[in-house]
Amino acid sequence: MVGAFDYAPAIVLLPFLSFLVALAGGKYLPKGGAFGGIAATAGSLVLSAWVFLTVSAGNAYNETLYTWVAGAGEETTRLTFGLLLDPLAAMMLLIVSLVALLVHVFSLGYMNDEGETGLPRYYAGLGLFTASMLGFVVADNLLMAFMFFELVGLCSYLLIGFWFRDSGPPSAAKKAFLVTRFGDYFFLVGVVAVFATFGTAKFAGEGAFPVIAEEALNGAAEVTTFGFAPETWFTILGLLILGGVIGKSAQFPLHTWLPDAMEGPTPVSALIHAATMVAAGVYLVARMYGFYALSPTALGIIALVGGFTALFAATMGVVKREIKQVLAYSTISQYGYMMLGLGAGGYVAATFHLLTHAFFKALLFLGAGAVIIAMHHDEDMWNMGGLKERMPVTYYTFLSGSLALAGIVPFAGFWSKDEVLYEALVHGLGGSPLLLAGYAMGLVAVFFTGFYTFRMVFLTFHGEPRTDIARDPHGVRWNVKGPLVVLGILAATVGFVNMVPVQDLTGIHLEFLHDWLAHGELSALTAEHYGELLHDYAHYTSAEVASYVAGAVSLALALAGAGLAHVLYNVPEPTEHTAKLGAVKDLWYNNYYQDEYQVWIATSVVLPLSRLADKFDQGVVDGVVNGVSSVSLFAGSRIRRIQTGVVSNYAALLTLGLTALLVVFGVLGGWFV
Amino acid sequence: MVPVQWYLLLGTAVFCIGLFGILTRKNALLFLMSVELMLNAANINLVAFSAYWGNVTGQTFSLFTMALAAAEVAVGIGIILVLYRNFDDVDVTLATGMRW
Repeated sequence: MVGAFDYAPAIVLLPFLSFLVALAGGKYLPKGGAFGGIAATAGSLVLSAWVFLTVSAGNAYNETLYTWVAGAGEETTRLTFGLLLDPLAAMMLLIVSLVALLVHVFSLGYMNDEGETGLPRYYAGLGLFTASMLGFVVADNLLMAFMFFELVGLCSYLLIGFWFRDSGPPSAAKKAFLVTRFGDYFFLVGVVAVFATFGTAKFAGEGAFPVIAEEALNGAAEVTTFGFAPETWFTILGLLILGGVIGKSAQFPLHTWLPDAMEGPTPVSALIHAATMVAAGVYLVARMYGFYALSPTALGIIALVGGFTALFAATMGVVKREIKQVLAYSTISQYGYMMLGLGAGGYVAATFHLLTHAFFKALLFLGAGAVIIAMHHDEDMWNMGGLKERMPVTYYTFLSGSLALAGIVPFAGFWSKDEVLYEALVHGLGGSPLLLAGYAMGLVAVFFTGFYTFRMVFLTFHGEPRTDIARDPHGVRWNVKGPLVVLGILAATVGFVNMVPVQDLTGIHLEFLHDWLAHGELSALTAEHYGELLHDYAHYTSAEVASYVAGAVSLALALAGAGLAHVLYNVPEPTEHTAKLGAVKDLWYNNYYQDEYQVWIATSVVLPLSRLADKFDQGVVDGVVNGVSSVSLFAGSRIRRIQTGVVSNYAALLTLGLTALLVVFGVLGGWFV
Repeated sequence: MVPVQWYLLLGTAVFCIGLFGILTRKNALLFLMSVELMLNAANINLVAFSAYWGNVTGQTFSLFTMALAAAEVAVGIGIILVLYRNFDDVDVTLATGMRW
């Protein structure tokens, strides 16, 4: 029977096809190839929905489709491409293809209607970006995941630098590429190490590497651990791969590329932040959660990095003037929550936050895009104000996204963020005090999130218009409003798939996402199995805390933050209050001088080191080589003089040579004795 | 019957005369002649040993050598003609273009 799984490769190939079409024929197509991209992503969405339905019937798919390198012999390492479709992948496929479709439609309004040039290049980039991310989502082994991970990075480079004639975007694109590349370097080492250790990089099924790792820990299997204890070695492997995650998901200290990536077109920012690039990192950890669950150290580091990033980025978002900058820092902060959730053993919670965040962050970016169209590409919030009456559709959808981001009940972000914090709290109280530090940072960040989100909303939409452009903004069309409405409704409602606090209060069964991820044909990839692993190997135990109490605490903090923003900025003529923060304001406004210290590392540490290495290379290595070559050059320049061109001399040399040979043979052969 | 050593001595003498000619002369025609001398020195050896062992193979070989020498002279004369056309002389020390 031909089922959804037989068509699954087309989910990846359709956007790739649109990439080829836009690249080759975009010039001759209407709208620069946009319709090809829309059709392709719509096709992917339909197929993803079909796969989703098939998976929800209890099926799963884990097949190798193509072996591109196979060693000799039976028991050998194979490098393959394959598909792994389980509940997690099916969910992510839906998110990515839906957001990609809406971003394509929105681009009609943001790029085509604004008369941009180079549209075929733009739509080709979007198509490849979507295809790479979808390929990453369905990857069934770590190496394939790595390859698509890199493709995603390449596409972000191409799209962030779309306006390459200005000075900002190309350098932002280079920064994004290099910073994530720095993390990916560790990932690559990790992939090789996984192959060296387990001889396979498959995520699931017979002989998958998380399964072998588990067996190695309880003594049922032997693996090469290069002289380390298995626990230590698996932690090292996990941390190496985490390097790539930290780079892509913009976690501290490799987050600096993301705010600069705002130089790209706004729909691209929406795609990067909501569904593709940044989500890839968190998705990777969730994908191989069976491996991370074996190492409490790696989990603790993930949780701490996540919690710290959540707070750290949220504080920087408080003082920014540009609407997209605020959103950029909110993205870093929200991915910090997801990492905190994963590290705290909340696999479902983090996945849930990934789901809700994808919708509300795509919504916020597209909303910001609509505002930017209206403001004639002015992004400074202090030039806006009063847009509420002038663009009501944008306002109400943006408000829906903001409420979700701030975590106000009953919008999507509340349920997921609350669950992440709840997991950190119960596991922290249950005997892993390290997680409590992550929880505390996450909780403080809730307040800041509420504050900066509503500061942004009030400055943009409320009060009196502060410039002439804001008094008479540029209108937007259906292709902008349509995606906004779809996402606005989703941002308000998608949280209902998993309302644990309400379930605890009322006893009605409401945790559908838990059910979705808990079971499945591939039992090693289910949340249930991860729970057992966390308990057995990471020694996570849950304390008894009522989920609605934890939820009420974070809701109160979010409301307090929003309330403070209301008091300070929801006035007809708001003024900057940031100066009251004094030195802290400068610190936040300059992003804790992260860029400066990274530049300092580059120029004062790495550069002298590489100069030294260069000297060694030029002096010692090249010196030896040059010495050898100068000896042969000199010898050659002398010996070539026997080539006189006079035939008699050659004859003489021949004769001499023959005589010499005869003498040598004679002496050695004993003819003269 | 003349002992084979005499033939060998004769062959050596002829070869050395040829070699001497090649090493000391400048005239290309004398080169050719000297090469002929050296080839014939080898022929003398072949015939001498053939007679010594009572085996005609060596004599057959010397016939082949003569045919070869004729061919070689044809080629050699051709080269000398070109040499003359280019340098107006058959002096081998003039043609020194193929040097370092």
